[in-house]
Amino acid sequence: MEEKLMEILNDLRPDVEFEKETELIDGGILDSFDIVSLVSELNSEFDIEINVLDLEPKNFNSAKAMLELIVKLQEEG
Amino acid sequence: MAFVSVEFLIFICIVCLAYFIMPAKGKWVVLLITSYVFYAFSSWKLLIFLLITTATTFLTGMQLGKISKNTKAYIATNKETLGREEKKLDREKQIQKKRRVVLLMVLLNLGILIFLKYFNFLAGNVNKLLGMAGGETQIPFLSLFLPLGISFYTLQAIGYVVDIYREKYEPDTNLAQFALFMSFFPQIIQGPIARYDHLAHQLYEPHAFDYDRVAKGAQLILWGFMKKLVLADRVAILVNQIFDNYMQYEGLVLFIGAIGYSLQIYGDFSGGMDIARGVSQILGIDLAINFDHPYFSRSLSEFWRRWHITLGGWMKDYVFYPLSLSKSFNKLGKKCRKIFGNYIGKKLPTFLAMFITFMLVGVWHGSSWKYIAYGFWNGGIISASILLESFYTKCSTVCKIDVESYGWKFIQMVRTFILATLGRFFSRALTCQIALYMFLHTFTSFNPWVLTDGTLMELGLKGVDYVLIFVMILILLVVGILQERGIHLRDSIAQQNILFRWFLYLGALFFVLLTGIYGPGYSATEFIYQQF
Repeated sequence: MEEKLMEILNDLRPDVEFEKETELIDGGILDSFDIVSLVSELNSEFDIEINVLDLEPKNFNSAKAMLELIVKLQEEG
Repeated sequence: MAFVSVEFLIFICIVCLAYFIMPAKGKWVVLLITSYVFYAFSSWKLLIFLLITTATTFLTGMQLGKISKNTKAYIATNKETLGREEKKLDREKQIQKKRRVVLLMVLLNLGILIFLKYFNFLAGNVNKLLGMAGGETQIPFLSLFLPLGISFYTLQAIGYVVDIYREKYEPDTNLAQFALFMSFFPQIIQGPIARYDHLAHQLYEPHAFDYDRVAKGAQLILWGFMKKLVLADRVAILVNQIFDNYMQYEGLVLFIGAIGYSLQIYGDFSGGMDIARGVSQILGIDLAINFDHPYFSRSLSEFWRRWHITLGGWMKDYVFYPLSLSKSFNKLGKKCRKIFGNYIGKKLPTFLAMFITFMLVGVWHGSSWKYIAYGFWNGGIISASILLESFYTKCSTVCKIDVESYGWKFIQMVRTFILATLGRFFSRALTCQIALYMFLHTFTSFNPWVLTDGTLMELGLKGVDYVLIFVMILILLVVGILQERGIHLRDSIAQQNILFRWFLYLGALFFVLLTGIYGPGYSATEFIYQQF
C-alpha cells in the first residue's frame, strides 16, 4: 500500500520529496488543486471515500498521515 | 460608525472600560450589547435582517443536533437487533433529513442576500432580454438597502450550519451567546469571516486585562490607521481622478491607475483588518488572519491563498471541495477522460469547480457583470498556468533558469503583481465596458513619457504625496520582508528600551496625524469592503 501511495504522490508532484516532507499542506507545497487530484486517485486506487471533512491539513501533511487516513477509512468502510 | 473616526475611538474606550470592569460572568454580555449598539449606530433599521439570520441559523443548528442525537440514540439502543444494512439505512435517512433542514436555512438566508443585493441587477438583465424578444413587460426596479456586513455574516452563518451538518462540532445551545458570535462588532462590517470553532469560545470566555496584549493591540490599530489614512486614502485621490476621467488618459496612466488601486485596496482592506484584529486583541480575542503579504506571491493562485484568506478558505471548504469531490463531478471526470484522454480529462472537472468558485468570489463582491469578468480573469489565468505548468518547467530547464534564485522569484512576484493589477480594472471601473476599455487602452497606446512630462502632477497629488506613498511602500516592503523571515516585529519592539519604543510609537502616531488624509470632522472615507 505504501509503495502504491508513493507512486501516486510522485506522479502527482515529481518535484516534491514525499518521504521527507511533513508540512505538505501547512507549508503550502500541495494546493487545493493537487488535493482534489490526489483524493480522486486515492479513492479509486484504495476503494475508499475521502470525505470533505477528512480534508484537514493533519491528514495530508505527510505521506505517513495519508497512509494512516487510508487505513482508517478502509477499516471503517 | 466608521472604523476610522473619533466616535469609534471613543466607542472602543467605552467597550474596553466596560469589558474589563465587568465581572468574568458578564463579560460576553458587554460584547453582545456593544456589538448590537455598534450595528444599530450604523444601520438600526436593517437590524431585523441580522436578527433573522441569527435566529434561523441558531434554530437550524439545534434541529440538526437533535436529528443526529436521535439517530445515534436509536442505533445505540437497538444495536443488538439492527443489522449493518439497517444501521446504514438509518444513517442515510438521517442525512436526508439533515439535508432538508440545511437547504431550508440556506435558501432563506441566501435568498435574503440575493434579493437585497442582486434583485435590481437580475431585473435589469431580464428586462433587457424581454426587450430584445419584443416584449413590453418590464420588471420594476426596487429601492433596496443592503444591511451592513450581510455578505460576511451570511457566509459565516452558512459555514456554521454546514459544519454542524458535517458533525464537525456540536450546535450552540445559548441563543444570546450565538447572537454575539454572529454580530461581534470588530468583524461584522468587513470580516474576517469567522469559523465558529475558532472564534465562539474566545468570545464566551472572559479575558482579564493584560497590558502586553493591550499594547500590542493598540500598535496594530495604529498600523491599520497608517495603511488606511496615509497610503490608501492618499492613493485614492489619484485612482479616482484616473478612473472617473478614464477617457482623458491612455496607456501607462491607466495602468498607473490600476497599480494605484492595487495599493489602495490593500491599504484599505488589510488596514481595516489590522484595526479589527487590534481591537479584538485588546479584548483578548484573536481574529483569523486575512492577509499574508499577498503581493509577495509568486503565482496568481498563491496570491488568492494570501489575499482575503477567510473568504478563500470559506469558498474552498464549502464550494470548491464539495463540488469537485461530488459524485456528479466524479462522473463528469470519467466521461472527460474518455473524450479528452487522461491528462486533460482528469483536470477538466476540477477546472470547472474552480471556475464556479471564482465566479462566486467575483459575484460575491457585487451585482455587476464586471465582477463576473473579474472571476473569469482570475479563473482563466490560474487554469492556464496549471495547464501550461509542464511547458514552463521545460522552458526553464532549456533556458537554464534557477527557479529558486532570488532574481527569478522577484520576476515571478512582479509578474503576479501585474496580473493581479490588470484584474483590478474589473473590480474598480464603474462598468464592465469601461474596465475593458481601460484594459485594452493600457496596451494599445503606451506612452512612457507620462512619467516625466508632468502628467503625474495633474492627477490630484502633489510631489510630497508621491514621496509619502513611496515611503509607505518602503515601510510595507521592509515590514513584509522581516515578517516573511519569521521576525515578530511587535515582540522585537517590546524588547527595545523604553526611550526607543516611545520614540517609535509617538513617531508613528504623529506620522498618521500629520500625513493622513482626513475628510470633514476628521473622519476618513468609508472602507471599500464595507460596501460588499
